[in-house]
Amino acid sequence: MKSTEDVNRVMEAYADMVRRICFVHLKNRHDTEDVFQNVYMKYLLYEGSFESSEHEKAWFARVTINACTDWLRALSRRKWVPLDALAEEGTVLDDPSKEVLEAVLRLPEKYRDVIYLFYYEEYTAVEIAKILGKKENTVYTWLSRAKDILREKLGGEWS
Amino acid sequence: MSGVKNEIQKSMENIRATADMKRNTLFYLEAQRTKKNRSILQHKQNMALRYAMAVICIFLLAGAGGYQVYRRPVSYISIDVNPSIELAVNRFDRVVSAKGYNADGEDILQHVSLKNISYLQAIERLLQDAYYSRFLNRDSQLVVTVVSEHSDVMMEQINENDSFRALDAMTYSSDTACMAEAHQHEMSFGKYRAFLELSQYDESITVEDCHGMTMGEIQNRIRKCQGHGGGSKTTEKHSNGHSGRHGHH
Repeated sequence: MKSTEDVNRVMEAYADMVRRICFVHLKNRHDTEDVFQNVYMKYLLYEGSFESSEHEKAWFARVTINACTDWLRALSRRKWVPLDALAEEGTVLDDPSKEVLEAVLRLPEKYRDVIYLFYYEEYTAVEIAKILGKKENTVYTWLSRAKDILREKLGGEWS
Repeated sequence: MSGVKNEIQKSMENIRATADMKRNTLFYLEAQRTKKNRSILQHKQNMALRYAMAVICIFLLAGAGGYQVYRRPVSYISIDVNPSIELAVNRFDRVVSAKGYNADGEDILQHVSLKNISYLQAIERLLQDAYYSRFLNRDSQLVVTVVSEHSDVMMEQINENDSFRALDAMTYSSDTACMAEAHQHEMSFGKYRAFLELSQYDESITVEDCHGMTMGEIQNRIRKCQGHGGGSKTTEKHSNGHSGRHGHH
């Protein structure tokens, strides 16, 4: 079991990333809080060690994505779009950001992950492939298709 | 595509874990940690308790087994004067039970405790007992009869006892068949052996007759029948070496 110091450290380091991954998957804050706790609970009970902070961060990204997927599978809510979550965050977002986020959240689930990891967390396709357990070419394909959809929706710089 | 990157980053920038979310999660994790530690502690305690119970069970089983071995008699000693007493002796030469086969025998056992000491100590204690000594007079005859796989050794050890020798006592060996037959007649196997010996010379003698006779009287009758006459016990006493003189029946 991980120490309290470790838990406090990773809370400061990865809480925002975990929260954002939850945001692009889950319907509302309540689900997010549950998955958020589940991810940190997995960390508390994780017996392995991390080779580096990059390894640790990638572990959190992978575990959070898997936890979200499991959560949705359990609730049979795989096909919904997490716009309720966007509405909940409405007060802190300006209009252009809302528009971009809405477009991202309307993407199929698998594309949301690659878009978030690629653009926000700045992972390479190779790293994303490792985190998601997919082939590199698959990640490239998903990125390309996601960009096409966003381009179509948002126009402007996306074109 | 850097513009796109900036837009995505900007749109996501304000999506953050709230202080409440972090605090609640930390509380939750600490509660889980405490619960887990308690469950680990409880598990350890349960395991310790199980080990302790297992050890206790082993000791109880070993103890019960040992006690069964201790309680099981492997040899028997009949001590007859007029009081007839039988001792059951375990493999450790300890007396595990004592039974009187007539009123005097039962009476003696009310006064003298012979259990859980070696058979040699039991015989010594009996001979030193004032109440028992009343039966050891000039006309009496102390006879000790042994049923055991090691009756020779036991008789030899009994004969080494000074008190026993001073009384000019006799030792015999017998067997389990004779012992079982004796018990059917409610008689000690030592006295019954003497009856069987006497019955070789006097066919009219019965077990009932012997019930009312002391060992001194039976031995005198045997000596008379053997032609030694006189009833004196000074020279004809079989004080030793009667191993193998089993009763014939």
